[in-house]
Formats: sequence, structure tokens, C-alpha cells
Amino acid sequence: MNEEMRRAAAAYVLSLGDDEMILSHRDSEWTGHAPILEEDIAFANIALDEMGHALLWYRLHAELLGKDPEVHPDRLVYQRKPADFRNTPLVEGPKGDWARSILRQFLFDSAELVRLAELSQSAHAPLAAVARKILTEERYHDRHTRAWVRRLGLGTDESRRRMQQALEELWPFVPDLMARRPEESPLVAAGICPPADVVQKSWEADVIPTLQAAGLRFPTESVPARFDRFHHTTDLDELLAELQSVARLESSEAVW
Amino acid sequence: MTDSQLPRYEIFIVERPGRPPTYAGSVHASDDELAMLNARDVFARRPDCHGLWAFRAETISSRTADEALSAFEETEPAPRERYLVFGKLGHKGVPTFLGAVEASDPDEAVGRGRSLYGQDVVLWWVAPERCRLATAAEDAGPMFEPAKGKPFRDQAFYPVETLMRQLRRARTHKQERS
Repeated sequence: MNEEMRRAAAAYVLSLGDDEMILSHRDSEWTGHAPILEEDIAFANIALDEMGHALLWYRLHAELLGKDPEVHPDRLVYQRKPADFRNTPLVEGPKGDWARSILRQFLFDSAELVRLAELSQSAHAPLAAVARKILTEERYHDRHTRAWVRRLGLGTDESRRRMQQALEELWPFVPDLMARRPEESPLVAAGICPPADVVQKSWEADVIPTLQAAGLRFPTESVPARFDRFHHTTDLDELLAELQSVARLESSEAVW
Repeated sequence: MTDSQLPRYEIFIVERPGRPPTYAGSVHASDDELAMLNARDVFARRPDCHGLWAFRAETISSRTADEALSAFEETEPAPRERYLVFGKLGHKGVPTFLGAVEASDPDEAVGRGRSLYGQDVVLWWVAPERCRLATAAEDAGPMFEPAKGKPFRDQAFYPVETLMRQLRRARTHKQERS
């Protein structure tokens, strides 16, 4: 892999890691607050899994750039400014109500599932290995959140109303979740990552009928995307201000 | 309705291939599918798990050893079905799957279980086999694979705790000297 390709792969992997990291942090807001004890445990499990996935992608990022895989992930999380994060804005908002968190998790996990299946065939073997490892856990997340989407969508009037509202609020963030990344072209040509439109097509074929079967209506108005992986919402600033507050107290790096 | 709890399910796990399912605890869930998913999250995330069984709590009949002594009465021939028999061996044990019997009701199932699986059981549980939910073979991957290679770690595993101890020790030392 030449230098340019390495940098492109690193950028791609960083966006995958940042998605998992920020979503994990938002999911962890449910710890101690989920509607039932069993879901509290389940969602905390999911949050931990996502953080584990972020760590795997960050280590791969370190390897691609020749950095120390032990200290690099902490630096990425604790020492970057919001503008340097490359996550998709869908994962930035606070947890909201249960319907919103379940729907966000479903939109994200179902997209991950398609992307990871493609990435597990990547021409870059270490990337394929990480994708395969994450895939087994994502399959489980997907089952769990899919089961809840059906129950909330087809449940009571209130659960359906909340799901519909969540869909309307989250739908404008979907285009960026599926968007082509700027670093993608050489990676696609080299068989390292799938083209965004291939991922999008399989994702839509799965997700649209699933949400319709759960009794949800798709928003008809198309909202122009205001945010993307380079232009974040203020929710990310707030999240990172808190997440990085302890690390900022000490100018030297703490060793955990 | 004063009880707002969701239905309770009793969960059994297979810790090692070939070992009988043993009782792990209960979960609440709105329906069978979520019961299995909740059981996985609550009981199968860290220790090795190779299979899960779940029963709606009310489908399990429980009899103490004394109750099991009163012999079931042979009544009119009634339709029989397969019951799964669990026994708690000793007061510290947990109900463990012993085997299946054909019976027309729970009392008969306990009686047949007792004659087949011995006298050392202090508590009997029986449930019709048709009420058992079990993980399908094709689900074992997503349900149990992720836990492999993730041993449970006590907090003492992480050096943070050691650092705190060092700080405390230094402070105690200082106080003792002053």
C-alpha cells in the first residue's frame, strides 16, 4: 500500500471509529435510566460493544499511520477538537426518548451490518479481520433493535407516535450516514472498501420495508442536509466538552 | 391491575457443551423473542454459554422433596405429554436438567422423575416440553460468539485501582509520621 492509499484508508477507518465512539457515549446515557432493568443491561452491553469496536478501528488507524496503537486511541478521543472528529451527525444527539434511541440504533446498526459484510471481504487483510470480528456483535445488536422497532411501531398509540416523531427527526441525518466519503475513490478501486451507493442500495432494500412493516410513514418533505462528517452539530461540542473535561485538567497524559 | 411487571421467564444456561442446562435466574419480557434476547444479555455476556432455555414462569411446577413423596395417584388414563424434569441437588445447588418423562400432569411428572433420578433431590421443577424456548443452532453465533475471549475481569485487574491504593498508602504513611 502506498503512502496516499494509507492516508485514504486511515481517513476511512477513522470515520468508522468515530461513529462507534460517539454513538457508544450516547448509548451509555441509558445506563441506570432504561425503561426496564433488562433493557438497562442490554443497552449498556451495546454501548460497551460499540466502544470496543471504536478501539479496534482506532488501533487500525494507528497501524496505518505508524503510530503507537496503545496510546493513539486515547489521544484521538481525548485530544481532538470537535471539528477534527469524522463521525456522521446522526450519532451526535442526546439519547432522547427510548423510541429515538432505538430507532437511531436500528438505522446505524442496519447500515453497519451491510457495510461490515462488504468490508469483511476487503483487500486490506487487517481491515477485513476487524470487520469480521465486529460483525458477530453487530448481528446481535441488529436483532435486538429490530425486535424493538417492531414492538414500538406496532405497540400502543403512544409508542407509535413517538417512533413516528423519532423517524421524522432522524431522517434528515440519513443521507450523510450513506454518503460517499471524500477519500473513497482510490479505496474502492483497490477493493479496500465498498462503494457508498452499493451499501446504500442494500440498506434501503432492508430498512424501508422493515420500517413500513412497523407501521411507520416516511417523511415526504426532503430536508436539505445541513450537517456532515466535516460540519458537526453543537451536540458534539457539548458531548466532547464533558468527555474530555477530566483529560484537560492534566496537561501531561495520564496512564490508565 | 396493580402488577405492572412484564411476564417473568425462568432461564437455564448450558455452560459447557454436553452439560445439562442449569438454572441461571429470571428475566422479564413482553414476549418470547425478547425473553431470549434479554436472557442472553443478562446471563450469557461473560461466562461461556452454549445454549439457553427459557420458560414462562407459570409453566414450571415446583414440588419440595416432601411433596414429591406423596405418591401421585394413578387416575383414569389421561392424555400424556413430555415433561422436562429439573432437580436441585442439595440446598446450595440450583435446579439442573435431569431428563424427560411422559406424564399427564405435573404431579405425575415429579413422581416419575423421582423414581428415575433418585432421592437426593431437595426441590423438583417440571414443565411441559412444549413450553420450552431454546436457542436455535443457527442463532448460536450472534448470541454466544461475542462473549468468547472476553473473560470477566475484577476491578483489581485494572491498574487504576493500584494507583489509588498507592495514593492512599502514601497518605496513611504521611499521617502516621506526623
